[in-house]
Amino acid sequence: MTYYLQLLLNGMVAGSVYAMFAVGLTMVYGVFRFINFAHGELIAWGAYLVLLFYLEPCSLPLYAAVVPALLVTVLIGLAQDRFVYKPLRHSSHITLLIASIGLSYLLRNAIRLIWGSDLMTYGLGLTRGISFAGLSITWIQIAMVGAALVFLGFLYILLNFTILGKSLRAVSDNMDLADIMGISMKRIGLTVWLLASVFAGTGGILLALDTNLEPMMGLTNLIKAFAAVLLGGAGNVWGALLGGLFIGIAENVGVAFFSPGYKDFISFAVIILMLLFRPRGIFGIAGGVR
Amino acid sequence: MDYLLHIMILVAIYSIFAISLNLEMGYTGLYNFGHVAFFGIGAYASALLSLQGMPVWFSMVCAMMIAGGLGALIAVPALRLTGDYFGIATLVFAEMVRLFFLNERGLTRGPMGLPGIPRPSFIAEGVHGLPMYLVFCVILTILVFLVIRRVTTGPFGRALKVVREDEYVAQALGKNAFVFKIKAVTVGSVLAGLAGAQWAHYVSYISPGDFTLNETILVLLCVVLGGRGTNWGPVLGACAIVFFGEAVRFLPIPPDFGRFVAPIQGMVYGLILVVMMLKRPEGILPEYRSR
Amino acid sequence: MLRVERVTKCFGGLMAVNDVSFNLAKVGITGLIGPNGSGKTTLFHLITAFYALDEGRIFFDGKEISRRSPHTISRMGLIRTFQQTRILPFLSTIDNLIAAVPDQTGEGFLPNFLRPAQVRREERRNRERAEEILEIVNMTHMKDELAGHLSYGQQKLVELGRVLMASPRMILLDEPTAGINPTLIRQLVDIIVRLSERGIQIFLIEHNMPIMAELCERVLVMDSGSLIFSGTPGEAQEHEAVIEAYLGRRDHVA
Repeated sequence: MTYYLQLLLNGMVAGSVYAMFAVGLTMVYGVFRFINFAHGELIAWGAYLVLLFYLEPCSLPLYAAVVPALLVTVLIGLAQDRFVYKPLRHSSHITLLIASIGLSYLLRNAIRLIWGSDLMTYGLGLTRGISFAGLSITWIQIAMVGAALVFLGFLYILLNFTILGKSLRAVSDNMDLADIMGISMKRIGLTVWLLASVFAGTGGILLALDTNLEPMMGLTNLIKAFAAVLLGGAGNVWGALLGGLFIGIAENVGVAFFSPGYKDFISFAVIILMLLFRPRGIFGIAGGVR
Repeated sequence: MDYLLHIMILVAIYSIFAISLNLEMGYTGLYNFGHVAFFGIGAYASALLSLQGMPVWFSMVCAMMIAGGLGALIAVPALRLTGDYFGIATLVFAEMVRLFFLNERGLTRGPMGLPGIPRPSFIAEGVHGLPMYLVFCVILTILVFLVIRRVTTGPFGRALKVVREDEYVAQALGKNAFVFKIKAVTVGSVLAGLAGAQWAHYVSYISPGDFTLNETILVLLCVVLGGRGTNWGPVLGACAIVFFGEAVRFLPIPPDFGRFVAPIQGMVYGLILVVMMLKRPEGILPEYRSR
Repeated sequence: MLRVERVTKCFGGLMAVNDVSFNLAKVGITGLIGPNGSGKTTLFHLITAFYALDEGRIFFDGKEISRRSPHTISRMGLIRTFQQTRILPFLSTIDNLIAAVPDQTGEGFLPNFLRPAQVRREERRNRERAEEILEIVNMTHMKDELAGHLSYGQQKLVELGRVLMASPRMILLDEPTAGINPTLIRQLVDIIVRLSERGIQIFLIEHNMPIMAELCERVLVMDSGSLIFSGTPGEAQEHEAVIEAYLGRRDHVA
């Protein structure tokens, strides 16, 4: 029994990070109406950039390296929009999809170029944690859940209690109408990319702290984020959150029942099943950054 | 000289692969990003059958049927999805197929792959067989090209384009859009299976790592670059991609920098996709000559 | 030939078509008019199965078509046009017409190899027909031009030609004269009259009242989803409910 509870706990830890990925992806969809395939690379670049600032020659302490890393990640996110997605704003969905696939391939190979294809870590070694009731959790994992709570709490406040947040919700409901009502699309766009990049980058760093870094981590986590987005209904922020938790839990608990090699299969299966049978999602209502 | 033969064989095989994707994407507007799955299925099916002792030509034909059958089967539910979701779903499907190859060790030997795949009985193994294999591939490529050209320059191709451009109009003109799409995917999958089988018997060792997103992007590039909805387009694209992929070996790169080649190539490929979408999404060869 | 029985369609809370019934027997040209948003195009969509019926039944030539798919209905000879022209911009004008012929042998995959001579023969015949029809609609000079290069009015003519290629028994025209200049309107009207003389039944949505009065022997009037009147154009112009429906809105006279 404790075994399953531990798996559940692991799942919730993983799920909280997946939730952060999914929320960013779904917000971009909510406002711009397309799935950013290159979202995964924001995750990966966030993690790898910390390496850049942490190792020689910058040699910043880990917690300080996070700041410039996230800054650059945000720049990458904004650049994605400025140079690729904005010019294609009125193109067909498929053109956008192909462009985002190309962009993700470009960014992923850039990581390979700079850091190589091998597994890397932040070199922190086995970190300690706490045990209770037969379950154990490391400090890093606690930090993961904590960070997710903080960020998502901040998002909640932003969306519900600030003018910016309400504008965001209005735009994702109806972009043209919001534009006519005088909401600045430019500011909204900036905000969305900022949030998406920060959430993705932070989640990537946390994930890398807990596990490791490798060039495919962007793509692997994009798939999970996308599955979560579909579960919640594309564009639905809180649905994406629940979706992320679900994926995390399902993956970790599922390992008890089938071969670990098929772990990724869960996300795939979710995507296929959702697309075919419930494209509007299970955990929420479709449409709108709610 | 051997190396030149190798490149030409790759061009021939990838031409068929690209032609098959172009039929689905370029003519019918079906963005099948999982096309590599049928390449892989064709490769594995033909390899497994011939390793069991079946004659190679028989294995290849069976592989084509299996690929085509699975293609039709997948298409039926998948075609319910709109363009970009269809693309994502097929992409995910391809990954699932790869996972299957990776995990079903009993059948496919998983990550260890299948070595020792035989050549057709009239072609020698190894390097000696290269010229004959090239002839074999080129003949198949020409056949496929002619078949597809015949079909696309006539009413079938025209109807596909109608389905691609405006499904409502297709319906209003009495054309069953769904049936046309299924036909396009089936033929496309059969040909992808053929290309995969050809490739398996050429390289004689395949593993799941040969059928990843990388290969999807490569064949996508062939079609996107070459020119959708044309017959020479995918061939042109295949030439360009294979040459670029292989030609770098001839550049004088100091050994220390050898590990940079693949990522830089990858970046170029990604960049090409982005730039093509920004500047010329229809591809290089124009579909129609306006007068 | 076309019988519509108690047809209803709702979108969420909006009742777009409300319990509409009528019967078009072999009368030549029937008009469908009404203010914007009265449900006319929705009705066309329902008849041709581009929307599904919520309630009611539709019969064409005695056979029920309520649950058939659009392409099947087209093949029965009930052809429609769309409010925005849906010409295929990447095909040449003549190819746009040839593509419209239903049941082409060459549209199958295998027949191209098993019966090549027949495919070639049909292509030639279809091309000849297309050229004839291009004559009728006065577009022969643009035959090989990319359809996307044609002007809006020219595209409408080609669309009409395309309808003809399908050998229709009945045509549903959705605002055929909208957005085109008076000269072309006259050409269109002449073509429509000639079609009717060939025995093709015509049902058209029109906002242009004088044209409608000139063409139609009978007119149906819709307002807010319901059928409020059926009779001659003259009667319609005097009818109280019809006048009320248009009251407060500008007359759509060309």
